[in-house]
Amino acid sequence: MKVKEIALDGLIRQNPTFKLVLGTCPTLALTTVAINGIGMGLAVTFVLICSNVLVSLLRNAIPDKVRIPAFVLIIASFVTVVSMLLEKFMPDLFQTMGVYLPLIVVNCIILARAESFASHNKAGYAALDGLFMGFGFTLALTLMGVVREILGKGAFFGLTLWNFKIEFFSSAPGAFLTYALFIALFSAVYSSIERRNKHKRTLKPLADESLSQDATIKEVAKEAR
Amino acid sequence: MESKRFVGSGSPHIKDNTCTKRIMLDVIISLIPAFIAGTILFGIRVIPVVLLSILSAVVSEVVYNLLSKKPFKQAVDIDLTSVVTGLLIGLSFNVKVAWFVPILASIFAIIVVKMIFGGTGNNIVNPALAGRCFVFISFLGLSTAYVSGGWVDPNGITVGATPLANILESGSLYNIGISKLDLFLGRNLAGCIGETSKIAILIGYIYLSIRKVIDFKWPLIYLATTGLFTVALNGFDFRWFMPSILSGGLMFVAVFMATDYVTTPNTGWGNTVYFISLGLVTAGLRMACQMEVVTFAVLLMNIIVPLIDKWIVPKPFGTIKKQIMPPKETQK
Repeated sequence: MKVKEIALDGLIRQNPTFKLVLGTCPTLALTTVAINGIGMGLAVTFVLICSNVLVSLLRNAIPDKVRIPAFVLIIASFVTVVSMLLEKFMPDLFQTMGVYLPLIVVNCIILARAESFASHNKAGYAALDGLFMGFGFTLALTLMGVVREILGKGAFFGLTLWNFKIEFFSSAPGAFLTYALFIALFSAVYSSIERRNKHKRTLKPLADESLSQDATIKEVAKEAR
Repeated sequence: MESKRFVGSGSPHIKDNTCTKRIMLDVIISLIPAFIAGTILFGIRVIPVVLLSILSAVVSEVVYNLLSKKPFKQAVDIDLTSVVTGLLIGLSFNVKVAWFVPILASIFAIIVVKMIFGGTGNNIVNPALAGRCFVFISFLGLSTAYVSGGWVDPNGITVGATPLANILESGSLYNIGISKLDLFLGRNLAGCIGETSKIAILIGYIYLSIRKVIDFKWPLIYLATTGLFTVALNGFDFRWFMPSILSGGLMFVAVFMATDYVTTPNTGWGNTVYFISLGLVTAGLRMACQMEVVTFAVLLMNIIVPLIDKWIVPKPFGTIKKQIMPPKETQK
């Protein structure tokens, strides 16, 4: 049961990009093409899982007063690992990510999950949380990257679709606009689903307990008397 | 029940027939000379460009209204602001513009800049300018290939840089080969449909001033500041004054776009600050970028308007005599 909750939280209910609006800096800068979004998302996912597990394992050993520096230290070591791996095996992606790769250290998502989830949950749950939060982030970045790539570069994952480019969407203002529109769309869909669920929940007890209505009517009649 | 002869209403008790539709109609009328002049100068292709942008502006507003689940009658009943936006967008392109550019500009202006921010009167920047800016960034080559207009003779049309670009790039006034009279009438020079003929813009300006749609002071302050600051930046050479005012889209923007009610400050002093700094920004950026930047200057200043309104608060009623301003709920 808890696994399902964690998954829903990470992917939808607390989607780091669209719901919590965390890690906006790489979101805005790296979504010009879809493949960059995936690369950034997976790098963050890896760091998130590792740091969550380690923070969770050390949660009783780290004194409360120095927990933030300790978290940052853990995160920074994993970021170094990722950036070294990328530099060795995917130099192209490493080049395009540039400064945003070392900046994962101060990415709010990772610190927020360490602080709010991993530091008081068991290691297994922390790993799952890292996985789904990272997937939520990757999904969001990829979606934005796909839209911006199609509109701004006329391509889909590097495949040229047509020769029509609206360069606005490749530039910084286009990033802000796309991000804002995505957040608006996400919250619109989310709140409409939420409303429908609430509606169902309120309908159910009435249908089940038809007697309760009679009881209330009797009570009201009694008071009126 | 309230009786119909006694109508209770909120505090501004001034009665006037001013309403959004009337003001917008006046603006449309004042733009007609510029449109006619553009048609004469650049030929018949002006008409489809302008009509396309108006049509797409109106259609996108109606579609947005329908999508936001307004009843059909309410959705179709639009004020003329979107027509004005479309008209301004159409007039701010060159004739040879690709057909989809004005359409995209209008859609962006209406949907993103106006409707998403809450419709008429709630936009933070001028929709027409933002729409133009959007396509300017997106299709740099397509929207800046200016065509020079022949006087009545459509065969005289050639592609060339605008006189302003020539002046700014060469840094001197003498090799542009164009007289001030030509600049004023819009004869034989490259540019956008609505902006080349300054005399048509002047007619529109006088009409708007007489109808009190705009205050006649503000465009003058804007133009004077721009001219004087250009002169100052060029070592106080007063020969720069007239060309800097008469060239580029400055006059068109000063009369029809910078005076937009929604995106100007609410107070007289606020407006003074706004238009003077607009002039300084325009002249300074022009000399720094060596291109026409009126669009960006106005957008930049539009964003600062709320700050100006925060700094300059009018004195309470009774302490000074105040001029009655038209209601600040409309836009162009």
